[in-house]
Amino acid sequence: MSATEIIPLIVPLGDRGLLVRFGDSLSQAANDAAISFARTAQAAALPGVTEVVPNLVSVLLNYAPEHISFDRLAGEVRLLVSGPLAAAGEIAQHRVAIQFDGEDVGEVAASLGLTAAAFIDAHNAAPLKVLATGFAPGFLYCGFHPKPLHVPRRAEVRRQVPPGTVLFAAGQTAITSTPIPTGWHVIGHTAFRNFAPDDLPPTTVRAGDAIQFEVAQ
Amino acid sequence: MTPVIRMERVGPLVTLQDAGRPGMLADGVSASGPMDRGAFRRAGDWLGGAGSTGIEFTQAGLAFAVEQGPLAMAGDGGEFSVNINGTKKRWPLRAVLKTGDRVDITPGPSGNYGYLRFDREVDVPLVMGSRATNSIARLGGLEGRPLAPNDLLHFGAQVPRIASAHPSADAPAQNDPLRVIWGLHADRFPQAVRESFISGILKVSAKLDRMGVRLEDPSGIFAASRALSLVSDAIVPGDIQILGDGTPIILMRDHQPTGGYPRIATVITADLDRLAQMRPGSELRFAPVTVAHAHTLFGAKG
Repeated sequence: MSATEIIPLIVPLGDRGLLVRFGDSLSQAANDAAISFARTAQAAALPGVTEVVPNLVSVLLNYAPEHISFDRLAGEVRLLVSGPLAAAGEIAQHRVAIQFDGEDVGEVAASLGLTAAAFIDAHNAAPLKVLATGFAPGFLYCGFHPKPLHVPRRAEVRRQVPPGTVLFAAGQTAITSTPIPTGWHVIGHTAFRNFAPDDLPPTTVRAGDAIQFEVAQ
Repeated sequence: MTPVIRMERVGPLVTLQDAGRPGMLADGVSASGPMDRGAFRRAGDWLGGAGSTGIEFTQAGLAFAVEQGPLAMAGDGGEFSVNINGTKKRWPLRAVLKTGDRVDITPGPSGNYGYLRFDREVDVPLVMGSRATNSIARLGGLEGRPLAPNDLLHFGAQVPRIASAHPSADAPAQNDPLRVIWGLHADRFPQAVRESFISGILKVSAKLDRMGVRLEDPSGIFAASRALSLVSDAIVPGDIQILGDGTPIILMRDHQPTGGYPRIATVITADLDRLAQMRPGSELRFAPVTVAHAHTLFGAKG
């Protein structure tokens, strides 16, 4: 199996970054390709590459121009993309317990024609994939829920929600680890934190990991 | 006893900075570090051996008292007025401070950021490998926040001296265009907008900080820009983002790690220091260059 079926776009991002882009919009296929390529690039330890950053549909490679030119790095990337999938390491499984006490949970359930209990069951029915990290310290985007559970974002942005807030919109569940503003629905809270600044690395969950949500006892 | 200084007057957003914490975008943390890296480095070079951490101050400056000396200090970046115990000193600055000295730095004719480096390490904890203050994530520095009046800064052991490299002052080519590399979404902008971006003038607005520099667009280059629904991508310092209302913003050292607004271009590394020092009202022009050309400029700038 090759690293990805999608031929990515390779573009400069400034003079120290190279972006490998697998799509213009968020899809499972583009996200799978980005995560697979990020893990492959990390394992390949490309010359001059100082940082591999998976995004929702792309991967940023930061590099040291003192050690490699853009053109040579782009060539290395093309080889990796067309080559076999490198050993990308284990896909870690995490369990995250949620208290479904968010102020929007009733409204979200009602908009889907479900009782709160039925919404919670549906939400936790299957493990989700971590689609991306990096939006804020320790922040996790997890997806995708089946289509019948998709709801749009809220019209209004809340100025700040606390760490451990469980958010829901656009077919995804997201978890905050620091205070952030958000236009997503708040469906619950969790004691789980994916950010410990005293530890190195400060986060434990990587893009591509699996998360099984459950009701906090 | 090791040296201690006490902050007296502190302008807005005065922070401790070091080389920053690169490599943590996937953790959701941007690299931080000095807004004007060259000035930060030169301040250390004046000392011939400096602790890795220094004070970054903003246009309004700061004043502090030396509670326990001696402490060797050097300053560089922008043009500031400096008095020590009421005596005017030259900027860039070199001084050995003794117990009871009072240092007062006030605005000068140009620049937004100045730096003070010391012959000792500032005694604050390393957070994720760095002492740099990250103003978004509230990490590093002194309790993750800007300095405030009455804060005490303690210093550790003296840093070994290295052969003193006397820095050459940068020739500030203030009116030269900022060189850019066309950005991730350049092709989403109409040809006419791309041409106006290069031929027209934008201005530094009063809204600038470590996260980004908002620009004024007096001739309405981006006035017709529509909010595009874009999937978010990683951000690098220098990215020029156009917000939904057409406001251009150049993202700086404490940038958000990812962004979903269209990016027309990215200011090259060699020109970021100069951009950081441009005051509100400064006119900006942009000139596109190739990545290969940008790389030839690293040697000169370090």
